[in-house]
Amino acid sequence: MPAALHGDVDLTDPEAKIQSRALNQFLAGVELKAFKIAQAALRNEDDALDAVQDAMLQLARAYADRPEPEWKPLFYRILENRIRDMQRRRTVRGRVIAWLPFRGEDDEDDPDPISQAPSPEPQPVRRLELDEAVGALEKALGGLPRRQQQAFLLRTLEGLDVAETAAAMGCSEGSVKTHYFRAVQSLRAQLGDLYV
Amino acid sequence: MSPMKETVTEFERNARVVLTASLTRIDARTRSRLNRARQTALEAAAARRARPWWRGLALMPAAGAVAAALLVSVLLWHRQPSAVELPLLEGHNASVEDVDLLADGEALDLMEGWDGPFYEWAAAQTDANAESDG
Repeated sequence: MPAALHGDVDLTDPEAKIQSRALNQFLAGVELKAFKIAQAALRNEDDALDAVQDAMLQLARAYADRPEPEWKPLFYRILENRIRDMQRRRTVRGRVIAWLPFRGEDDEDDPDPISQAPSPEPQPVRRLELDEAVGALEKALGGLPRRQQQAFLLRTLEGLDVAETAAAMGCSEGSVKTHYFRAVQSLRAQLGDLYV
Repeated sequence: MSPMKETVTEFERNARVVLTASLTRIDARTRSRLNRARQTALEAAAARRARPWWRGLALMPAAGAVAAALLVSVLLWHRQPSAVELPLLEGHNASVEDVDLLADGEALDLMEGWDGPFYEWAAAQTDANAESDG
C-alpha cells in the first residue's frame, strides 16, 4: 500500500496533486468573499457558512474536472442557488412559526457581528473610519433588492466582469448591467456623503 | 476582464476598498470554519477523482433494466392489433385469449354460447371468395 494515501486518494499522483492544489487555491481565494455575499443575503452567520460550505462541496464533487476559468461563475451560481433555497425555506419556516401561539424573541434585530468584530487594522482613526464605512455600506446593501445586492457584490467585491456575473446570476448581461446600475444609484443616494 | 479595468466611478472604487476592508474583520472562528469546509471539499474532490472507472459499471444493472423495459414497451406497442384487423381464431393464439377470458367473468359467460366452427367456416368462406375475386 502506498504511503501517501489521503482517504481514497493517492497523493503520489502528480495530476491529482496539481488539481487539488489549484482547487485549494481557488477556494481559499473566494471563501471570505463568498461568506460576505452569503451573509449579506441571509443576514445570519451560520446560514452563510452552511451555504458557502455546500457550494464548495458541490463544486468539488461535480465540477472540479471543469477548466479552472469556469470555476468562479459556477461556484457563485451554486452559492446563489443555495442562498435562494435557504431564503425559501426560511420564508416557509417563518410562516409556520407565525402560526405558533408561543415563540421566543426573534434574534433578527441583533447587531451585525461582523460590524462588531475586532479589527486587525493598525491605525485607530483609519480603523474607526473604515468601521463606520463598513457598517454604513452593509446596512445600505441590506436594504437593496436581492438581485441588485448580488450584482453589486459580485462585481465590486469579487471582481467578476459582466459576462461572469451574468453566468453566476443566471441572467442576461443586460440584466446584470441594469441591476448593477440601480444598485450603485441607490447606494450612492444613501451613502453619497461618505463616498463621493 | 475585471470590472476595475472598466471605467469606474470614485464611489465604486471606495466601495470596493470598504468591502475588501470588511473581509479583514471576519473573525478567526469563521475563518477556521471556512478552512474546514474547504478541506472537506478538497477531500470530496480527491475521492471523486480517485474513484476507479469500473465503479461506473455499478449503474449498469439499472441502465440494463431501463433498456429492457423500453424494449418490452416497444414490442408490446407493435403487437397491438389494429382496428381493422380480424379476430384471430387459430389455435396458436388461443392461450393468450384464454387468459383474457379467464380474467373476464362476463366474457366466460358469453363463451358458453360460442359457435366456433360456424365462425371458422364463415371466415374460410370469406377468404375463399377473396381469392376467387382476386
